[in-house]
Amino acid sequence: MEPAEAEFLAEKELVTIVPNFSLDRIHLIGGDLGPFNPGLPVEVPVWLAINLKQRQKCRLIPPEWMDVAKLEEIREQERKEDTFTPMPSPYYMELTKLLLNYASDNIPKADEIRTLVKDTWDTRVAKLRLSADSFVRQQEAHAKLDNLTLMEINTTGTFLTQALDHMYKLRTNLQPGESSRSQDF
Amino acid sequence: MSEAYFPVGPGLGLEENFLSLDDILMSQEKLPGRAESTLPRLAFALGQGAGTGDSIPEGTKLEIPLWLAKGLHDSKRRIISVELPKIYKEAWRTVFSADATVVDLHKMGPYYYGFGSQLLNFDNPENPEIAQTLLQTFISRFRHIMDSSQNAYNEDTSALVARLDELERALFQAGQKGLNDFQCWEKGQASQITASSLVQNYGKRKFTEMDG
Repeated sequence: MEPAEAEFLAEKELVTIVPNFSLDRIHLIGGDLGPFNPGLPVEVPVWLAINLKQRQKCRLIPPEWMDVAKLEEIREQERKEDTFTPMPSPYYMELTKLLLNYASDNIPKADEIRTLVKDTWDTRVAKLRLSADSFVRQQEAHAKLDNLTLMEINTTGTFLTQALDHMYKLRTNLQPGESSRSQDF
Repeated sequence: MSEAYFPVGPGLGLEENFLSLDDILMSQEKLPGRAESTLPRLAFALGQGAGTGDSIPEGTKLEIPLWLAKGLHDSKRRIISVELPKIYKEAWRTVFSADATVVDLHKMGPYYYGFGSQLLNFDNPENPEIAQTLLQTFISRFRHIMDSSQNAYNEDTSALVARLDELERALFQAGQKGLNDFQCWEKGQASQITASSLVQNYGKRKFTEMDG
């Protein structure tokens, strides 16, 4: 899966906006949205929020975890723990990128937030690599990692599965099995 | 999903993949061996003599490519016997078990793992140790490959891949691709439409070429 696909899935998450237009309830295949009244906050999926923002029809309200103090706390906790801490949203990386790219004027201290999220991401990816290395080194059969997000899995997934494939094939060499022999004349 | 075509990968086991280019190139690597019986009129083919009528006397040392060695190897009709190349022997095996990360695997034969796996086809009392060494070498070098491939963004990686063998280079590229995809997405380039690599070299036809 590519990062763009993960971003597409992330756009289904709900975010609060304050529209400046009015519209009755709209009925979409995925569910109902609205009604939209100027000045009243309403929850919509991110794809719609970004689109409205680009057309200057709304103002985005950052999710409650996208705040400097909260992110600092998350970052500190991530650094302390050896395992992965649960993240406030399973799509934190994608949402950060989308909201900060399109709506940075609505988000206070956008640069600091970007830095904090990046720090947390770096810590998590480092932990993932450490865990992958110990997994390979000890030739474990199976490992369980909680609280990983899709984006992190994507970035290391291809490499890890290929390496494990190779390791598996090298390991089957250890068993001197009877492979099919060609005919003897 | 974004790949234009899927090449067949190497077999890496006791069996090779017939259609894999990596396996074909790998089986061209030479093994030291001995002729067990006289090989009439084959001196020319095996590079030992100039005349077409020369035969190879029994006991001559030969360098045989793997594909030929696999075909001629037979415990009953003793045509040739093979020995292990020196990097799979005891001396080098201890070097690998001491510290595998410093060895230049590209120089040792760019297909260390593949060739080693194929060597297990020939009955040899040292086979279990060879298989074990292959596995352990891979495991020790894994960390190094992972770190270097996931941290080198937009740099010249030739110094990093110089010491890797072909299998490890493929892994390195997979790691690089993961990293590049992520960085490209983060910069926002993932949503830009770019020309596919297959058609980028097609020149635009000029109008004049079509007339006449």
